[in-house]
Amino acid sequence: MLFWILVAILTAAVAVVLLLPLLRANARAEAPRSHDVEVYRDQLDELTRDEKAGLISGDDAEFARAEVARRLLAASDAVKTSETRTSSRRVNRLAQLCIIVFLPALGLCLYLTTGRPDVPDAPLSARLANPGDDPNILIAQAEQKLAKNPEDGAGWDLLAPIYYRTGRIEDAAVAFDRAIRLLGPTPTRLGGYAESLIALSGGLITTDAQTALQKLLVLQPNDPRAEFYLALALKQDGKKDEALAAFNTLVAQSPKDAPWLPLVNEHIAGLKDGAATPDTGRQAAESAPGNPTSDDIAAAETMSAGDRRTMIQGMVDSLSGKLKEDPANFEGWMRLVRSYSVLDQKDKAADALKQGLAAFPASGAEGKQLLALAAELGLKPAGETK
Amino acid sequence: MIIELGHYALVLALATSILQSLLPIFGALRGDRSLMQVGTTAALATFGLVAVSFAVLTYAHVTSDFSVQNVWENSHSLIPLIYKYSGVWGNHEGSMLLWMLILTFFSALVATFGRNLPETLKANVLSVQAWIATAFCLFILLTSNPFARLLPAPGDGKDLNPVLQDIGLAIHPPLLYLGYVGFSVCFSFAVAALIEGRIDAAWARWVRPWALAAWTCLTAGISMGSYWAYYELGWGGWWFWDPVENASFMPWLAGTALLHSALVMEKREALKIWTVLLAIMTFSMSLLGTFLVRSGVLTSVHAFATDPTRGVFILAILVFFIGGALSLFAFRATHLKAGGLFAPISREGALVFNNLILTTAAATVLTGTLYPLVLEALTGSKISVGPPFFNMTFGLLMLPLLLAVPFGPLLAWKRGDLFGAGQRLFAAVGIGLLIGGIVYYVEHGGPIMALFGIALGVYLIAGSLTDLALRAGLGKVSGSVAFRRLKGLPRSAFGTSLAHMGLGVTLIGIVAVTAFETEHVVEMKPGMTTEAGGYTLRFDGMRQSNGPNYTEDSGHFTVSIGGVNVTEMWSSKRLYTARRMPTTEAGIRSFGASQLYVSLGDAMADGGVVVRIWWKPFILCIWGGTLFMIAGGVVSLSDRRLRVGAPSRAKKPKKLVLEPAE
Repeated sequence: MLFWILVAILTAAVAVVLLLPLLRANARAEAPRSHDVEVYRDQLDELTRDEKAGLISGDDAEFARAEVARRLLAASDAVKTSETRTSSRRVNRLAQLCIIVFLPALGLCLYLTTGRPDVPDAPLSARLANPGDDPNILIAQAEQKLAKNPEDGAGWDLLAPIYYRTGRIEDAAVAFDRAIRLLGPTPTRLGGYAESLIALSGGLITTDAQTALQKLLVLQPNDPRAEFYLALALKQDGKKDEALAAFNTLVAQSPKDAPWLPLVNEHIAGLKDGAATPDTGRQAAESAPGNPTSDDIAAAETMSAGDRRTMIQGMVDSLSGKLKEDPANFEGWMRLVRSYSVLDQKDKAADALKQGLAAFPASGAEGKQLLALAAELGLKPAGETK
Repeated sequence: MIIELGHYALVLALATSILQSLLPIFGALRGDRSLMQVGTTAALATFGLVAVSFAVLTYAHVTSDFSVQNVWENSHSLIPLIYKYSGVWGNHEGSMLLWMLILTFFSALVATFGRNLPETLKANVLSVQAWIATAFCLFILLTSNPFARLLPAPGDGKDLNPVLQDIGLAIHPPLLYLGYVGFSVCFSFAVAALIEGRIDAAWARWVRPWALAAWTCLTAGISMGSYWAYYELGWGGWWFWDPVENASFMPWLAGTALLHSALVMEKREALKIWTVLLAIMTFSMSLLGTFLVRSGVLTSVHAFATDPTRGVFILAILVFFIGGALSLFAFRATHLKAGGLFAPISREGALVFNNLILTTAAATVLTGTLYPLVLEALTGSKISVGPPFFNMTFGLLMLPLLLAVPFGPLLAWKRGDLFGAGQRLFAAVGIGLLIGGIVYYVEHGGPIMALFGIALGVYLIAGSLTDLALRAGLGKVSGSVAFRRLKGLPRSAFGTSLAHMGLGVTLIGIVAVTAFETEHVVEMKPGMTTEAGGYTLRFDGMRQSNGPNYTEDSGHFTVSIGGVNVTEMWSSKRLYTARRMPTTEAGIRSFGASQLYVSLGDAMADGGVVVRIWWKPFILCIWGGTLFMIAGGVVSLSDRRLRVGAPSRAKKPKKLVLEPAE
């Protein structure tokens, strides 16, 4: 309300300023060329001054004086012959009306189509003092804390997957790396680090990524994701036989209905055919549930905020769909709950939490982790929200 | 609420601009005084409203209000405060708002200080100014709104482009825009005069201070931009003939021509039509520059074609104003009375010569800038017109102009004595050749063209001093009388002298750097030494440090001469964390007017680092000269007195061929 009052005051003040000359008593317009006469008189005075100061010779001054005097005469004649006119009352009224109507009309019409009167100011200091449930501020706050105290491993651990999901892959790689160095390696951190590196290099399994994946396998033998990427690394290196062996081992270890089997079999078929397709981990990363592809990430960097949000939303929805088909994916549920929370969709996050708890009961270790995440994000299971 | 008020103020500014573009000119047509006076109050109101909206955008940047898209895209919470301010105009939307602010500022100046203007002229000028303001305000509101909001607000900004995080770039755009947009006043005066169909000496008197003020600011802006590019980009160059630079250089060339022809028009009432045309062309060049820089057409014609909204809008503004003004000119020019007559050899003649060369030079730069764009649009092949083209064409054009500069002020109005002027310049030529020879000897083995270039520079300086000395009658009258006469000289004489002297100083800098600079690219390990410009540089090692929003690797160098340590310097590379963008912070040390310039390259695996070291003799003269030019502009501007060109009588009665001015 205050805003509209101020808008009204501003408009009225400007209207008054514009109306002032029209409200004054009708003055006669000056003769059109009277100013020229002044200028030429000034020039003649100047000439006399210069002559006295000895800057120009007497003859030269005479010449110049004659020239200026000719212009002066012409200008004075024009002043005498020009007619003066007064303004008409009718035109004056019309102009007043024009100002009074036009100013608020155009101002409001244009403002209401382009402005956002409903959006309040959001200076950063105020938002930081009272973050509420603003996920962006929570991330920013965490970042600022980390900038002051870069040795806080838990902070990096928390931010890393969020960065990865929101397309800030470089930041994700740095954060995973720091978390590993400060808190020690876990399969999740190592896997996240390796996937960030792979995404950064456009699908190429770099040496650093391979090292991370090998460490992961030490901690968690037979991890299918790590084995798959390492097999792919062999294929990228051109070591076809070893790659084939590695893929075959992966198939042998996997359950019959594992979702990655079709992709692995495709690679095996490709290797057997000898068709050395220049393969990268790109497809692999795409097939992992809910992962952004490297194209997506590249696109996200050049996107506007709105588009980026749409893209992230799309990725999250696809993850949700995959989880409906295959609910036995604990990491997927954790990711889904977190994503919805970051996207500020509390209902969906609560819903996902409920479905996740259905697959992993609250009494189990995984269920407890889900509940802990919910507490951290300020969520309650859907059933309790109302 | 504050943000939205700023937005509303901008919308209201559009409304007042529209009223200002209609009511005063209508009043001028009808001879209605109160309608004409609406122009004055409307100009002040528009300026006030734009100032409010600019202040609000600044507030949003300073408080890091990321709910404003412009702030989110171009600021960061950790950035130092000064760059929160300069971030306001360090981006497209904000810089257009600054453009608008300066445009309305000049309108307000005309409204306030234009009391001595004829009422109808003032009303017309304010209306024409308002047309421009309306067009740009619409452009801002419809295609580049700085007040667009983001919901939900992001947590932190994307940071200001790191190369813009520099004090030079905080000052450069406002100065440049003061210059660009200052010429809009000259443009408005020209169009207003064409509408009234009346142009005379008095008109030139009113236009000249505006042209002078705009020219001074533009000179300062270009000079600042060039120095910034020199120390920030780390390539050691000071002028790249880059289209963005050319965009600001073309109005400068045209503006310089305007300044000189307005002089002729004021003193002698000659060159009227030409001056009006120049006033139109100068601002057209400014508009063209704005179009080139702001539409994205420079990055690639195709990038422009994929999102043409902004570009097409500015192009429409460009076509409307340039086309409209030139049509008006074509329609009215024939009705204008031709002015005073003068002989080819005279001060007027010299100024015409100056005008011809400056406009040809501007056309050359225009060709070199637009040719690649046209070619890309037509054939799709991307070429770049580089420094060789410009150096060849522009350099050759400038040569006769520079030779003629000292003659101009020495020639009398109406008809002059070239031989006499030449005789009087004899001393200047002598001094020029002498000092040129000394420099040649000191720097041994410099190419002969450099010798000539330095001589030309010194000749320019000595020539401008000759003018002052002759006017004071030095040598003819006693010392005290000469000093009194020197003091009595009009300030514009000192302004002319200073500006021409500055040209000489800049020329010396350019020639010396081009001919005598040395460049070494060496891989250095800590403890290694290398030579440059007679100094010995020792690389001491690298150090890592953190800035507020960047990390920095700096190399430390000790500079010594003959085993004695003279100074030390740091040269560094920064990585700005938010954008992950590296910048070079070159290490620069001045020795007199010369500089040692050290730029760090890539680190090698074995602990060494690639270092580029330049010795730049007399480089500071380039920008020092522009300081003289700026001082000349300011001094001339402070001369409120009006000078009248007094024709000198022909010494011998001989038949003179008089030429019409146009």
